[in-house]
Formats: sequence, C-alpha cells, structure tokens
Amino acid sequence: MSLPILQAKSLNKNFGGLRAVGQVTFDLDPLGVTSIIGPNGAGKTTLFNLLSGLYIPDEGQLLMNGEDITQLGPVARLSRGMARSFQITNLFFDLTVEQNLQLASQKLESWPKLFYATSKSPLTLQRAQELLEEFHLEAKKDELAGALSHGEQRRLEIAVTMALRPKILLLDEPTQGMSQGDTQETSQLIAQLAKNVTILLIEHDVELVMDLSKHVIVMAQGEKIADGNPRDVRSNPIVQTAYFGDAA
Amino acid sequence: MDKYQQKAIRMMEWLMLIAAILLVIIGKLTGDTFFLRLATEALIFGGLALSVDLLLGIVGLLSLGQALYFGFGAYLSAVILRDWIASFWVCIVIVTFASAILGWITSYIALRSKGVYFALISFGLAQVFAKSIYNTRSLGASDGMVGVPIIRIPLPFVTLNLGDAVTFFVITFMFMGSIYFALKYFLYTPLGRIWAGVRSNDSRLPYLGYNTAAPKRIAFILAAIVAGVSGALYPMLRGFVSPELMYFSVSGNAVITVVLGGVGTLIGPLFGSSLLMILKSVIGTLTLHHHIVIGLIFVVLVIFAPKGIVGILSTKLKNRGVR
Repeated sequence: MSLPILQAKSLNKNFGGLRAVGQVTFDLDPLGVTSIIGPNGAGKTTLFNLLSGLYIPDEGQLLMNGEDITQLGPVARLSRGMARSFQITNLFFDLTVEQNLQLASQKLESWPKLFYATSKSPLTLQRAQELLEEFHLEAKKDELAGALSHGEQRRLEIAVTMALRPKILLLDEPTQGMSQGDTQETSQLIAQLAKNVTILLIEHDVELVMDLSKHVIVMAQGEKIADGNPRDVRSNPIVQTAYFGDAA
Repeated sequence: MDKYQQKAIRMMEWLMLIAAILLVIIGKLTGDTFFLRLATEALIFGGLALSVDLLLGIVGLLSLGQALYFGFGAYLSAVILRDWIASFWVCIVIVTFASAILGWITSYIALRSKGVYFALISFGLAQVFAKSIYNTRSLGASDGMVGVPIIRIPLPFVTLNLGDAVTFFVITFMFMGSIYFALKYFLYTPLGRIWAGVRSNDSRLPYLGYNTAAPKRIAFILAAIVAGVSGALYPMLRGFVSPELMYFSVSGNAVITVVLGGVGTLIGPLFGSSLLMILKSVIGTLTLHHHIVIGLIFVVLVIFAPKGIVGILSTKLKNRGVR
C-alpha cells in the first residue's frame, strides 16, 4: 500500500468563539479523486483554506509526503506541488486566456528569464499551448477571461491551477453554476486529470461525487463525521441523517 | 490591450516623432525657441507622468505623491551641478542611484497598504519631504535654489551645449524615448505579466507561486528612478529649483496627464503632458483663470473618454475596422 501524499492530523480552526474546523484528521492517498461533502456551513472551504495555506490552523499538523507544511503559506505549498482552485471564479479577468495561462506557467522558467522578452520563454509558451489544447480553449485564447462563458471560465480556472503540474490539486466546487452539459464535460476532465494528479474535491453534486471518487469525506458543523468509499458513505446512517436528511 | 489600442499607440509614437522633428526644424529655421523650451518642459513632466502610469496603469497603484521623487531628483541635480561638478553624466548616474535608494526605503512605508491608503501614504510622504525642503535654509528654503549653470555634454567628436534650446530638446526627447521604450520592453517580459497580474487580481498570485511584494517593489523603485531622472533635467532647463516641485499640484497634474493620455499605455502620459502644456499656454493667453478651464476639460474627458486620447483613437480605429 502506498504512503499518503497528504496527512491532516487533528486540524482545528476557530474564528472568535466559532469552531469552523474541529479535529479533522484524514489521509489522502496518491492519485484518484477524494471528495469532501457536507451541507452548507460544514467547514469544507475553511478546510481547503487550511490545506492550501490561506489559513494557518490553530492546532493540528499537516504533512505532505511526510514533510510538515503546517506553517507554510500558499507560495511554499505550491512549490511543493499543491495547487488549488476557488469556489468563486478567481482569474485575471482583464487578461486574455493565453495571458492567464502564460502567467500561470512562467514559474517553470529560471528567474533571470523574468527580464527576458516573453517570446524568449519557451517553457512558458509551450506549457500555455499545451493547456490551451488540453482544456479546449485554443479558439478562445485571444479573448479576455472576463468575456468567457461561466463554464469556460471554470475550465480556465482548472487549467490555470494545472499549469505548474501539481501533485495535489484542490478543486473547490468546480462545477458550481454550470449547465448539465458543462458539468458532464468537467466531470470527464477531472477523471482524466486524476490519472496523473491527486485530486481533493469539494462538490455539492452528490451524483458526480459518487461517480468520480474513490474516497469520500463527510463533514458537518466543522467536523468529519464519516469517511470511506462512496458506497459505504452513502449507506452510513449518520451521513444520511446529517447530509442526505432523515428521509434518505 | 487589444490590437486597435496597440495600433493607436504605434500611431501616437510616430506622431510624437514627427512633431519633434517639426519642432526642431521650425526652431532651427526661425530661431524662435519658445515652443521648443515649452516642449522640453512638457517632456520632462511627461517623464514624471510616465512614472505615475507605471504605478497606476501597469501595477494598479495610484500614487498621489510622485512629485516627491521628481523634486528629489531636481534638488539633487541642482546641488550636484551648482555646488560640486557640472557634469550631465555624473549627475544622471548619481540621481538614478539615489532615487532608487529613496524609492527602496519609501516603498517599505508606502507598500504596506494598497488602494486609497497607498494613495494617502504616498501623498503624505511627499508633503513631509516638501515641507522639510521648504524649511531647510541650506537648500534655499522657500526661495529654492538658483544659479544652476548651463551644462555641456562632451561626446567623442562634439560637445553638446544644453544652453541651446534645440540641443536640449533633442537630448530630452531621446532621453524620454529611451525610458519609454525600456518601460515598454518590461511590459512584454514575465515581470510585466506579473505586474499585470498584480493590477488585475493580486490575491490570486500567491496560488500561482508569486509573492506580490517583490514585483510591486521593483515597479515602485523603477517609478522613483524615472521620476527622479526626469526631475534631474528640470534645473538644467530652468536654472533653478523650488519646493513647489514636490507639492501636491505637481503630483496631481501628473495623474491628470496620465488620465488625459490614457492610463496604462505609457505613450499616453508623454502625449498628455504635451497636450496639457499646450492647453495651459493657449488658454493662459486668453484668461487668467485657465486652471478652471483645464479642470472643466478634464472633467468632461473623464466622463466621455475615460480611456484618454489613446482610447479615443483606438475606438476610432475599431469603428473604421483598421487592421
């Protein structure tokens, strides 16, 4: 059995008197999709913020490939291979699609190239082109990110997070507000990405979660109430009560 | 920046060059150097506006105190040229390094905040410096410093005399042109892309692996250098400096110039500075209240053409479908 790529140990985060995340512990195995589900206010996005370095936990420990990253910020975590997307689309809206991808990719270059013309940054240009093709955005490359449809913006958001070839990808509700067609397309994309990247997914679409995930973590009121494979989670009476409702 | 805006910028670059050549020819033929000296002053203040545009249009930081670096460059230049050595190159090199150091130090105060707070801190810093200069007797206090000598620039085959209006204009034009193209080059580098990212959505950048502090600081220091060396030319042209060079009116005029020309275009500030100088001269001959007229023109422009001259031109090109 492979070692976990990410280990969360008793993570706690309080805001004043409110416990947003309490005693959350889980292991994330390499590759595939692990999903976090739970009702609104369960603490899923706060947990993501703890994992990605936006917040530092009040207590607990976070290990990535055995290294303690608890106190590291987003930049240091990204350099170790952890990238994230956001619940509300978070792009550079007045830059073109191609410029968004070049900005996301240019970290692949050595630092002196910061001062070279972008046209002399082959790794950046090549990676941006790969992403345009992989995420079917080539026809839109010269359009401003702000002018894209919602579905295209969500796709670009994932493409931007994939630019530096992360080992762990945290996706916060990637299909939020999407049409059924776009949701299906994004679901296929995530399944494809999960062959090479470990994906931790927050998603409200339960059917999508059950289809994609090899492991599901259920949260309620800031705490983990269950985890396991999708079938076990679905039949867990605690989960049914807390998340699916008593009638489930 | 779309292709029409790029086309508009190229047209304005050519227009600036043609206007400069015409001014030189007219100055040479007629011997009337009034407009040449006016254009030289416009270019010098255009350099200050360029530095404002680097911060505002490229990185998204509104500085209301950029006159601090302009005035600092002017005073340092006056002190060097009058009291130490009348050398153009020594003066420019020292002002460049000193402005960089001043920009580096003040960046740690100003860049602690952003938005309106950054604007207020930059304003406050300039006020502190201006008042300090105003009260420093060794720098002429409220009277400023006079008696800056006419500078000569020895080159291998010829010595340029900055007392000659045509020569000074050509030197200033080449100087500002070099700064303009150097800054424009940066826009097309990964650093320029990061600046665009800071302007567009700086909270996203850490999740792409960028600390935003360093790129902002680089821009801030560069802007201080550009304003400083532009200011260094001022006493060479006018022969004196005064504390007013650091006042809010100078910083405010630079912001107006940028908006007039087109924010984030770099050529806009140079063009806007020339236009503002022409407006001041022409309207100033008609009425003593030219500030009111210019203020009204500015209000109308912001309402009806918020993207400035570059915006007007690029919209015209777009409507005509120019490729």
